[in-house]
Amino acid sequence: MADRKSLIKIKPKKYKTGEVVKVSFMIMHPMETGMRKDKKTGQIVPADYISDVQFLFDGKPFTTLKVWESVSTNPVFTVGFKVPGNGALTVTYKTNTGESGESTKKVKPKG
Amino acid sequence: MQRRAFLQTVGLAAVAGAVITPSMALAAEQPKGANAMGLDAALKAITGGKMPTPSDKVHLKAPEIAENGAVVPVTVEVDSPMTPEDYIKAIHVFATKNSNVRTLDAMLTPANGVAFFSTRIKLGSTQDVMVVAETSKGEFLSAKQSIKVTIGGCG
Amino acid sequence: MRAKSILTAALLCSALALGSDQFAMSDADRALYAELLENNPAEMDVEWGGELVEKYCGGDAGLAKFMGVTEAKLPEYVSGFPRYIKKFDAVLGLDQVMQALMAQNGHKPYKLSSKEMFAMLAYAKSLANDEPIRIDVNANPQMEAAYALGEEVFMTKRGGRGLSCNSCHSADIVGTVLRTQPLPDLGENNAGGTWPAYRMTKSSLRTLQRRFQGCMQNALLAVIPIGSKEMVGLEVYVTKLAKDKKKTISIPGLKR
Repeated sequence: MADRKSLIKIKPKKYKTGEVVKVSFMIMHPMETGMRKDKKTGQIVPADYISDVQFLFDGKPFTTLKVWESVSTNPVFTVGFKVPGNGALTVTYKTNTGESGESTKKVKPKG
Repeated sequence: MQRRAFLQTVGLAAVAGAVITPSMALAAEQPKGANAMGLDAALKAITGGKMPTPSDKVHLKAPEIAENGAVVPVTVEVDSPMTPEDYIKAIHVFATKNSNVRTLDAMLTPANGVAFFSTRIKLGSTQDVMVVAETSKGEFLSAKQSIKVTIGGCG
Repeated sequence: MRAKSILTAALLCSALALGSDQFAMSDADRALYAELLENNPAEMDVEWGGELVEKYCGGDAGLAKFMGVTEAKLPEYVSGFPRYIKKFDAVLGLDQVMQALMAQNGHKPYKLSSKEMFAMLAYAKSLANDEPIRIDVNANPQMEAAYALGEEVFMTKRGGRGLSCNSCHSADIVGTVLRTQPLPDLGENNAGGTWPAYRMTKSSLRTLQRRFQGCMQNALLAVIPIGSKEMVGLEVYVTKLAKDKKKTISIPGLKR
């Protein structure tokens, strides 16, 4: 499991149960397309990009993304989410090189 | 100082910002990656041959002019009740002139509450970005927008 | 780099002339890009920088103590950088102060141009978010000298084209579209308060002095080292421009 920097954000910061919020997942990743030449070596930099992202609430997936190499470096993905109540929001990712990772954020509605 | 005189002074009179057209991108040896796929094939893979219907229920928000091709914001929102009986089950975003037109496929569920997706993509040249939304009833709705990709600025 | 060869091809094709067809973004486009500020990848650098400041500088508390202020006064103090620091008898940036603190704590300081130091600077400066820019160029003779040096560097024509910073950033030139971008008024666009920033064309966090270097390279001026008296002076001068426009600090910024 990689130690990549990532962030899960919920907007707005204060929300109620039943409200539809925006959940953003951002991660530091080069998203190499496999079509870029390294300036110094002249060699093609191999493809290395996030290929799959999944959003789960209390372990149950609610959004799945199939991601391709032309998504920007250090990608940000934002989806809607209807807050069911208190629980854990988890985002998992996989890359084409076999790397995977996971991060979690508590969902704490007020009201 | 008049603009032309200013530019001549800084020695940049002959230099203009470039709009990257597809032919120029090709001229600069764009290698194809392992995932190369054109629009027709990509659409067929999703719809099984059905042509998506342009629909104003699909709201595509993207800049008309992208000041850099590395980070082009794309936001899609589709009008839908997002109930188990009637929801948007997928939003596909295509960069129609990238060697692999597929950029992202978002598989949604009623738990999303709203058929919304946003990200940033890389565009190799000026092109149309096309989005196709798949409804739970098996319809394919689409929208598209042209984005001019420019290289500009100083450094 | 592919981008350069595309640009060269464009010039050779002379398919584009200046004058009518300078592509500048519409207000709607600019608003879209402003929305990007909301989810700025550099927020991750700021978080990382915070972890590094915690580890090597003793966190906010250690930073405040080293600079001789209370933690409560830290945002206000940070908003006044670059500053004359008596302890070192020099006008310094916050990054240079953190280098000294790292050394004091027995760690090898990160280089000013390192990713780590960029992240630490972004974190430390973000402590002053929403504060007005408070740099005081009249605080003491050293700040006055730094400001004067910065102004001199800004105004001095040098290099192959005989350009100075002022050639492109003076009040009567700003707004002119050059290579699709309107030349910015460095005070009005708050360069002093919005760097370190995420540069989209570089897909990474960059600092103001690093950006100055890129600009110098483009204008065919010899690049000045980060952290040198001249560079710090330049930052003092440019930060004062933002202060004059009553700008506030907002880190991390988002730039092309």
